[in-house]
Parts: sequence; structure tokens; C-alpha cells
Amino acid sequence: MNLTFSLAHLMGGILLLCAFAMLSQRRLAALITLYQIEAAVLAAAAFWQGYAQHELNLYFTGLITLVLKAIALPFALREIVRRFNLTRAVENTMPMALSMILGTLLIGVAVLVVLPSTMSAISLTREDLAIALSIVLLGLLVMIARRSALAQIIGFLSMENGLVLAAIGMPGMPFVAEFSVALLVLLAFLVVGIFLLRIREHFDTLDVTGIEAIERRGR
Amino acid sequence: MILLPIILPFLSAVLLGLLGSPVQGAIANAVVTAALFGLTLAAWHFPGTGLIHADALGLNFGILTGFIGCTTALANIAYVRGAIARISPRLWRLYHALFQIVLGACLLGLYADNIGLLWAAMEGGTIAATLAVSLPRTPSALEAAWKYFILGGVGISLALFGTMLVYLAAQPALGPGLAAMSFTALSAHAPWMDGALLTLAFIFILFGYGTKAALVPLHGWLPDAYAEGPAPLTTALSGPMLNLALIAILRFRHLLQANLHSGGAALAPGPFLVTLGLASIILTGFSLARRRDARRFFGFSSIEHSGIAAFAFGIGGPVAIFAGLLHMAVHSLIKSGLFQALIRAAALRGSTAPGHYGFSHLRGLVHSNKYTARLLGGSMFALSALPPSGLFVSEFLIISQTIQRAPWLSLPLGLGLLLCAAAILRNLGPLMFAPAPPHTKKTKAGWEMHLVTLHLAASIALAFFMPLGLYHLFMNIAGALQ
Repeated sequence: MNLTFSLAHLMGGILLLCAFAMLSQRRLAALITLYQIEAAVLAAAAFWQGYAQHELNLYFTGLITLVLKAIALPFALREIVRRFNLTRAVENTMPMALSMILGTLLIGVAVLVVLPSTMSAISLTREDLAIALSIVLLGLLVMIARRSALAQIIGFLSMENGLVLAAIGMPGMPFVAEFSVALLVLLAFLVVGIFLLRIREHFDTLDVTGIEAIERRGR
Repeated sequence: MILLPIILPFLSAVLLGLLGSPVQGAIANAVVTAALFGLTLAAWHFPGTGLIHADALGLNFGILTGFIGCTTALANIAYVRGAIARISPRLWRLYHALFQIVLGACLLGLYADNIGLLWAAMEGGTIAATLAVSLPRTPSALEAAWKYFILGGVGISLALFGTMLVYLAAQPALGPGLAAMSFTALSAHAPWMDGALLTLAFIFILFGYGTKAALVPLHGWLPDAYAEGPAPLTTALSGPMLNLALIAILRFRHLLQANLHSGGAALAPGPFLVTLGLASIILTGFSLARRRDARRFFGFSSIEHSGIAAFAFGIGGPVAIFAGLLHMAVHSLIKSGLFQALIRAAALRGSTAPGHYGFSHLRGLVHSNKYTARLLGGSMFALSALPPSGLFVSEFLIISQTIQRAPWLSLPLGLGLLLCAAAILRNLGPLMFAPAPPHTKKTKAGWEMHLVTLHLAASIALAFFMPLGLYHLFMNIAGALQ
């Protein structure tokens, strides 16, 4: 049982570190790499929880996370960065140092809120939940601190990772795999949405209407 | 059997998304939605078991959703005929598919007896609604959709976190498994749940579903979404989604209250709801005065009425909750009818595209068509909650309950309501009777205007002539959820 605890905490810690490091990165490519590491560790955490709780559902969650979040989504994001030539640094809405101080405070808040109010829950869940809430709040902070839509999306994605971490730590919770699929649908639409938006910003006029006009004439 | 009204919209969404010209799609959409209305009525006889087990509250609002969907779909036929050239046939198919998905998600959320399914319904509804807002494909529509997606997505995520915390809070009482996610089981075992954790969960749920209910300060997406999307889907059909979010908040509020009453460690949910509700009412009071676009204007008015319902739930007690539910039902009837009249009014002035709903553009409506002008004016007057509007009854109940239970809150509440009513009435006169813009011709109102009359009549009947059976039913619901 001891190994269960320490490994789960180690992976939670790495996740938290990745989420926090996102605050300090100025380049989209680095943000995407951080997200990729985060998702891969999350997949490992899901597999480990599946092994510890003997839940087939969690293995499935881990598989989805690994294939779609750690491989497919970063690939799509890198494609967007490449196509629209977004390699320059992202503008911030607040100084880097301030956002990191706020991030530290948010982690403190998460721990102070979760640990006292979950005295009755088993210890593994408590600490996982504190980490998950920290990641969710840090994701929100990334969304606030960055001006670029793509960086906001990455903040959002990181936030979702926090949610999945919370879900896999819940003892015997039904629908965990279904939740992660539903969240993925949301993420997929977000990435498609950014694609549309970037197209519009890039050509200044709405390129899509042009496509549709051509389509109508073709009919 | 209860699955029928949920599966039908999703199945027909697939068909409507793949086949047919725009007008065919609109007609098929109306037929399917009319059948759906019938099914929501019939659902009384088979409320289902297990995951999808509708209670009286869900069934009642399911009927309301079916009714609003049905009239909107009928009026939608004329809208599609007038706007057919604006987007491609493929997008019209998507539009009708989204129409059905929004309806299906609402019904799923209302009928589900499971906090996870409720969340999934909210998520599906949000995705469909944002896609709908983006349909006109204009830059401003895409921006509105993007704003909605980001805000709605964050809200949905917070709600999921809250949902998981509720599950965790239920562990001491119900143990692992599906029972800890069922509303029926949760409300029966609320006293033994972990109160502190339940409070934390409620905060997340309030902010998560509060985003969908457009409570201030989480309301930013709503006016834009109303103003930029294709009118029938994003305005006339938006009431059910707001109702669903408010009902979700009400149900979780009940868990907290039940835990508190039996000596649990939960905080009282009232102050949170009252604060958000009052903020919504007062902020809209000031915002309404500055709006020039009618769709944005009525969007803010929806925020106000969401806020009033949340306020009523915060005041608590069976009568206030009864009044809040009545307020939601009557408001969605009036608002949906109003938007149908507004779309028609814009059509009389040439175009139903976004940007043609300015008050200055629509003014002097009696010179175009008397019937439409009367209906739009009547609906606007009804929104101000002066008698004989149905909202008068619910607001009267809410105010009298406030005086009874929290007297010092009645002053800001009354002030906010007054501000909103004044802003609405100030726009009413010019919209109806001012000199019309040049080159305005008299035109005929379509047959679908009678649907608005039906909406207004139903709202008045519901508030003033509520059948005794329905009254007892609503009182029972409110009593059980107090």
C-alpha cells in the first residue's frame, strides 16, 4: 500500500510542477511541451490508479489520455503554431513574477481549503484532491495571465488535466472514462474553434465565408 | 419509455444534419418537435427508473421545454424562408441538428436522476449552443461564440469538479457506486453527508452552473450570444437552458439546506444565492438603460430574471421557492414569445440578420403592422412585471417573502426591480408609437404571430388561473426542495 501512496503522490507532484511551470513559459512551443509531459504523467497516474483500485475503467481513461491528450492534441497544437507562424513569445497581461506569486498563493489556498474539509475521506484522495484543485486554479491563472487565444487554450487543457486527476482519485467513482471522453469532446471543439479564429485573424476577412460562397456556386 | 423524448431529438438531429433543403429541414424540425412536445406530456405516465428517473419538477419543466421548442420550431419555418440565402444549405442542416440537440440536452438534464448525467447534458447543450452562435460566420458571431465557449467551458469544468466533490461528500453516507450520484438517494441521505465538503462542492457548482444561468458576474457571454447567433435558436430557445441551470442549482442547494437543518456542518446556501441574485438584478437595472440593440437589451433582461429566481431560492422556504419556480416558468414563456415577435418585427423591417435589431431601426412598429406591434409591446410590458403580467404574481410573492424572512434585503431588491421596469417601459413607447423610419410600408403579420398570443395567454393563465392540482403539485415540489 505504501508504494501506491508514494507513486501516486510523486505523479501528482510532477503534474503540479508542470502546471506551475506553464506560468513561467513565454513561448507556445514550450507551453505545448509542458502540456504534453503533463498529459503523459496523467496517463501514467491513471494506469497506476487502475492497477491499485483494480478498475478497468481507469485503464481505459489512461489509454484515452495517452493517445488523445498526450499525442494527438499536442500534435494538432504544434500544427497550428507552425501554420500560423506563432513562434514568437506570447504577450502577458501581468508581469511574470506577479503571476508566479499568485500561483503560489493559489496552491496555498487549494491546500488550505481541501485538507481541512476532507478529514473523513481517505488520505490518498485528500492529497490528490488538493493537487487537482491547485492544477485547476493554476490553469485558470494561465488563462487570465496570457493574451493569446492559443495560450489560453493550453491553460484550459491543463485545467482539464486537473479535473481528470481528481476523477481518477475518487474511490470507485462511476463514469470516470465517460467524463474524460466528454471533456475531450469539449477540448476538440476548442482546438477546432481556435483554428477557425486564427484563420479569420490571419486573413483579416473571414476566409470561411469565401469557402462557403464557392461551395454554393458549386451546387 | 422515458428514454423516447430524449432519444428522439438526438436521432432526428442526425437525420436533419444529413438530409434535406433548408425549408424541408425547417418543416421536418417542426414536425419532430411537435411530436416531442407530445412525448413530454406523455412522460407523466412513465417517469422511468434508475439513471433517468424524472421527478415532478423535471416533468413539469420538460413539458414547458417541449412547448417552447414546439412553438419556436413552428415560427422557425417563416424565419428560415426569409433568411435562406444568408448561410449555405449545409449550415442550415447543422442549424436544425443543433436545434434538436439543444432540446434533447435540456430534456436529458431535466429528467436525469444522476449528477453525472446532468453534467453531461449541460456540457452537450453548451457545445451545441456555442456552435449555434457561430453559425452566421460573421466576425462578431465567431467572437461571441468564442467568448461563450471559453466562459461556458470554464463553467462546465468547475461544475464537474463540484460534481465530483458531491460524490466524495456522499461517501460517508452512501459509499462508492452509483447511489452516491443519484439525486433521490443524495437528498434522502443528505443529513449524513460530509457538510464541509458539500459546502465546497456547492461553491463550485454555483459558479459552474451559475455561468450557464448567466448570474452576474458570470453573465458576460449571454448578451453577445443573444445578439449574434441565428435568432430563433439562440434567443427564443434559450429559456429552457437557463431554467435547467437554475434547477440544477436549486437541487444542490436543497442538499446543503437539508444537511444544515439536521445539524450537519454545511454552510447556509442562502447568502451566496442572494448575493449573486441581487448583483444580477441591480447590474441589469443599470445596463438596460444603455442598450440600443433589442436582442442585447432582452438578453440583459434574461440575466435579471435569472437573478430574481436565484434570489428567491436564496431566500428559501416553500413559498419563495414556489415563487422562484413560477417566475422561471412564466418568464421563459414570455421571453420566448417576445423573441418570436421581435424576429417577426425585424422581418417586417427587411431583415432578420444580426445588426437589424436596433431600437432606432424598429421604432414605430404600429405603422408597419398593428398585430405584431401589440404583441411585442404586450410582451415587453409583461417583462416589466406590472399587472396583468404573470410575472407580477411571482415577484409579488418573492417580495412579500423577502419582507417576512429578510426585511433589509427588500430595499435593494425593490430598487433593482424598479430600475429594470423603468428601463423597459422607457423603450416601450418609442418602439410602438414613434414615427417610423422613412419608406416604411404596412405589411401583413404571419400566422405564426398567433403563437405569441398563445404564449402570453399561457403565461397569464399559469400565474393567475393556476389549476388547483398544478398549484398543489408545485407546492409539493417546493416543499420537498425547501
